[in-house]
Amino acid sequence: MGRYVLRRLLQAIPVFIGTTFLIYLMVWGLPGNPFAGRCGQRPCPDAYIQRMTEKYHLNENIISQYFWYMSHLVRGDFGETFTGVSVNSLLAQAFPVTLRLAIVAIAFEALIGIVAGVVTGLRKGRFIDNLVLVSTLFLIAIPTFVTGALLQWVLGVEWGIIKPTVSSEARWSELIVPGFVLASVTMAFVTRLTRVSVVENRRADYVRTAVAKGLTESRVTGVHLLRNSLIPAVTQLGLDLGGLMAGAIVTEGIFNIRGIGGMLFMAINRQDSALVVSIVALLVLVYLVVNLIVDVLYAVLDPRIRYE
Amino acid sequence: MTDLLVAGEPASQPAGAPNAHLLEVEDLRVEFRTLDGVAKVINGVSLHLDAGETLAVLGESGSGKSVTAQAIMGILDSPPAFITGGAIRFKGNDLLKMSREERRLVRGEGVAMIFQDALSALNPVFTVGFQIAELFRKRRGMSRADGMRRAAELLDRVRIPNAKGRVKAYPHEFSGGMRQRVMIAMALALDPEVLIADEPTTALDVTVQAQIMELLAELRRERNMGLILITHDLGVVADVADRISVMYAGRIVEEAGVYDLYRKPSHPYTLALLNSIPRLDLKGQRLNTIKGLPPNLLRIPPGCPFHPRCSMAQEICQRELPPLRELSGGRTSACHFAEELNRE
Repeated sequence: MGRYVLRRLLQAIPVFIGTTFLIYLMVWGLPGNPFAGRCGQRPCPDAYIQRMTEKYHLNENIISQYFWYMSHLVRGDFGETFTGVSVNSLLAQAFPVTLRLAIVAIAFEALIGIVAGVVTGLRKGRFIDNLVLVSTLFLIAIPTFVTGALLQWVLGVEWGIIKPTVSSEARWSELIVPGFVLASVTMAFVTRLTRVSVVENRRADYVRTAVAKGLTESRVTGVHLLRNSLIPAVTQLGLDLGGLMAGAIVTEGIFNIRGIGGMLFMAINRQDSALVVSIVALLVLVYLVVNLIVDVLYAVLDPRIRYE
Repeated sequence: MTDLLVAGEPASQPAGAPNAHLLEVEDLRVEFRTLDGVAKVINGVSLHLDAGETLAVLGESGSGKSVTAQAIMGILDSPPAFITGGAIRFKGNDLLKMSREERRLVRGEGVAMIFQDALSALNPVFTVGFQIAELFRKRRGMSRADGMRRAAELLDRVRIPNAKGRVKAYPHEFSGGMRQRVMIAMALALDPEVLIADEPTTALDVTVQAQIMELLAELRRERNMGLILITHDLGVVADVADRISVMYAGRIVEEAGVYDLYRKPSHPYTLALLNSIPRLDLKGQRLNTIKGLPPNLLRIPPGCPFHPRCSMAQEICQRELPPLRELSGGRTSACHFAEELNRE
């Protein structure tokens, strides 16, 4: 296992270089000078354009530009935005917020999704099963901006249970409703995936063996059945965790959360190439790490998956 | 004076159940309620088993032998399976009348079972040691470490090489034969009085089959267990069984000691089964088979269920269901012409 992790980390290096280079190319390689049109109605002063062109090494070819950028990045320096603000400080503000929101969302997805999946899988065809099937169908079919706006209005405005928007500190308690909104679709998928695999596995031979051993029902279900039924849910959760770390533009927008998603959206809107590249570089890193963690988790859940 | 009369009785019988067999199945009936209708899978099966005895239950696929075993273990999938009648007495107590909890405690400790396909019957995500030690931990209150130690001892007993090192291995890391040994070790963990082996060697190659059968016979002797061996393989049972019950369409059609049954079958189905064993001295000739298919259990034919395939069938066979009758020599048969067959 240790060797596998090491190998995966080594493999991550070319992936990281490749993706960041592509992004760099796509953002900076566009024809024209990105600073020419930044001064509103008037043309920008030459002095400004020249200063910025030198600052971002735009006179050199794109490969050496990229090397200049990477030489800073590997030292942990994400550079400066076009307005001269340190990207590191921006990320340090936004990323913890996104992380908290992602944790809240993944907790909803895992807890509610798996519990509902097991309960309905064991009671296939009964009332509770149909109820959950219909409600998950709703959750999957309704877009996040509808659930988000609806909950914000009902809970925040009409009933006044929550504050309609999240403060700039983005405390855990404020993130519960936005986290639920963000989780809703994946939660429904996890429920259905878990349900199907519980239905499949509860008739499996090894479950029958566990019963024949004279184990209690709770042990048969909670240990023998559950462990085997979790694998599809973990796949779904793992895929989603990477996405959640990349921020949630819609949910963040509705609840006014200052996370990575909103920041990236803003950076693209303002055509701040330096900020866009740095945010994406961070997201690639996070994605690689999350993926590795999920792959290792697989091997823990199912020993038949061996990484040698 | 009365004491003298009682003295001849076996002393080991539990109170309240004089002369009871260790395990006794009486007139068991099971049906599967499916969308296509009600399949009568078991139609009045009676069996008995004593300590140290080996009973083979023989029959084609779909004859109800595995369902009988699962009914005894209480692991039928219900629905669709429902027990509609009969009794299963273990040491005189009817398992079918017990509470769920009492029944659970009989499993593994009173009656244990091993399955046909050990790969799918063992949980793929836990080590074999964990799966065996689980029994010691949950049923005997042992610690994890003690449980693992006992698991290693058991694996060693079923002759798995390097048992101490192998407790931490997963089922897929064993060969087919070794996996079945793990299964056997697991079934023996709580010292069961009855072991049911449901086609334990079907998934294995022939040399390994013999080793597993030998191991089962040896363990039965050593522990004085009752062993029910479910199989469709006549070759497998000949060496190890004491008695054989032949099943057809959810009924027992013949029961006899091994020697009697092989020498002189008294049911046409048994005879046909024996004739269909490939023989070396008849090499090159067409293999004898039983014509036709086992009956659809949704529509069992009237009269004797075997009559459409029977070479001896008469008019009475289409009308009257032959009851299982006792013949001379302590054997039974459910054929109208059992005596004629027996005389030949």
